[in-house]
Amino acid sequence: MAKNPKTDIDENLVRKLASLMDETGLTEIEYGSDGVNIRVSKASNVSVAAPLAAAPAAAIAPATTEVPATDAGSHAGAVKSPMVGVVYTSSDPDSPDFIKVGDQVSEGQTLLLIEAMKVFNPILAPKAGRVTQIMVNSGSPVEFGEPMVIIE
Amino acid sequence: MIEKVLIANRGEIALRILRGCREMGIQTVAVHSTADVDAMHVRLADESVCIGPPPIKDSYLSIPAILSAATISNADAIHPGYGFLSENANFAEMVEEHGFTFIGPSPEHIRLMGDKIAAKAAVIEAGIPVVPGSDGAVRDVEHALEIGLEFGFPVIVKATAGGGGRGMKIAHTKDDIADAFNNARAEAQAAFGNGEVYIEKFLTTPRHIEVQILADNHGNVVHLGERDCSLQRRHQKVVEEAPSPALNDSQRAEIGEIVSKAIGKIGYRNVGTIEFLFEDGKFYFIEMNTRLQVEHPVTEAICGIDLVREMLRVASGAPLGFTQDDIKFSGHAIECRINAEHPETFMPSPGKIGDYHAPGGLGVRVDSGLYSGYTVPPFYDSMIAKLIVHGNNRNECMMRLRRALSEFVIDGLHTSIPLHQRLMEEPDVINGNYDIHWLERFVDAKDDSDGA
Repeated sequence: MAKNPKTDIDENLVRKLASLMDETGLTEIEYGSDGVNIRVSKASNVSVAAPLAAAPAAAIAPATTEVPATDAGSHAGAVKSPMVGVVYTSSDPDSPDFIKVGDQVSEGQTLLLIEAMKVFNPILAPKAGRVTQIMVNSGSPVEFGEPMVIIE
Repeated sequence: MIEKVLIANRGEIALRILRGCREMGIQTVAVHSTADVDAMHVRLADESVCIGPPPIKDSYLSIPAILSAATISNADAIHPGYGFLSENANFAEMVEEHGFTFIGPSPEHIRLMGDKIAAKAAVIEAGIPVVPGSDGAVRDVEHALEIGLEFGFPVIVKATAGGGGRGMKIAHTKDDIADAFNNARAEAQAAFGNGEVYIEKFLTTPRHIEVQILADNHGNVVHLGERDCSLQRRHQKVVEEAPSPALNDSQRAEIGEIVSKAIGKIGYRNVGTIEFLFEDGKFYFIEMNTRLQVEHPVTEAICGIDLVREMLRVASGAPLGFTQDDIKFSGHAIECRINAEHPETFMPSPGKIGDYHAPGGLGVRVDSGLYSGYTVPPFYDSMIAKLIVHGNNRNECMMRLRRALSEFVIDGLHTSIPLHQRLMEEPDVINGNYDIHWLERFVDAKDDSDGA
């Protein structure tokens, strides 16, 4: 589920921008990436210019291993959830997981199951490759478009 | 008491529902398509779940996605807003089957009022005056002609599965009846999957006046007065006001009483609106809307009652906290629907908002999810804001409305604000002297005089 990245302030980035200003003699630097803009200006304090300082919508039952969703989401090998539901990493609690990090998978191989409305839907590998990241835990909820596995 | 509500809608109404929940300490879950990830209500909600890609059939109309989202977020109730699934009886039923509370009327009443022929029969029985017309569905062109001759042309052919201004064809004389009948059937079949039609006398200069009702699960019913929504273009309301400039107190009380009794008789619960055409001092039922309506704020302004809050209370099983005698109407309110469209050509105008300044001050309310830097997506309805103004009387209200419109800044897109400004200078609007055809004639006349 999407944890709002807009509220995480990158301290190192701010320090870097501030020292760049000193080095170069500039009075204002603005840097933007992934929807977050930071402007550092000599005369005023650092401001994080996100459109509005609204309280962020929190993730639903955040997974214990968290990876910033937008970074993983834009990865070319990201396998994203096609539906809303609960993800399972094995066919039942006593079975081994379908995949683990480092596995070679073939196109069409079952990676995960997503359960919605009591129906289990297999999520298949869109292409052959190596599993480099698994971003979900068994039993955790997923939303549409949420990156779950990265295959490179 | 309900503790967590899933808001199954988007835009300004989703924000409206969120605000109602927040004020009652109820947790909120915002479901949204990928196009709405930056929507204001999504940002403000306690939790959010992305349920699909932009097309509404894969997101806001996706019953499985919405029910799944409610399950994983442990919501206990779902508020459907207006449009989308709000009047889908199957959805309401499934919500309840899955153990959630549907914030609205029962699936049975949604189903009853969704079938326009059955609805008409039900309200006739409950004592509500109706537009004269066919007794049920019309079999064929011969039958249609018979009805037209009996009630007198012009007549209008309407789809039983339609409503909200869709699926209607007018026959001005008996020569038009075959085409009107056949076209209406074909369109109804294509649009709603049900080609059944009925016929009503077509009123030539009616006003659209609707009555707001509210009922709890304990048999208590109140009416919250009427709204005049005559200013429409292509069956879509553009401006609404409460009370109607065309009714006096006794007419208001009389129709309110008739409607309350009927609602009580059918055992309806939660909010609803009964829509009438009003001509020559008489009311004619056209349809009932079994949901919260876009224009509910004008009623809130003159009654001082929060309709979303009441919906949540009723859905939680609470009895109404007031009786009809407690309800007092105060002053006058007007709502302008602000669309992201060119004020003259009506071409849709989605895009990124630059400067944004909403008007304020006493008696000024803006219901909108807009903010500076927000991008209005092209996939959905063009209404982006509602400006609702209240004054002690209609004149004061209009002065305030003109002032508020002149202050409103929505940079970066075309909006219908200039259209509203022109309307508020028109003598007919100032005098409250208009019917449901007025706005179309005004727009067409403007086109002609511009040589457009």
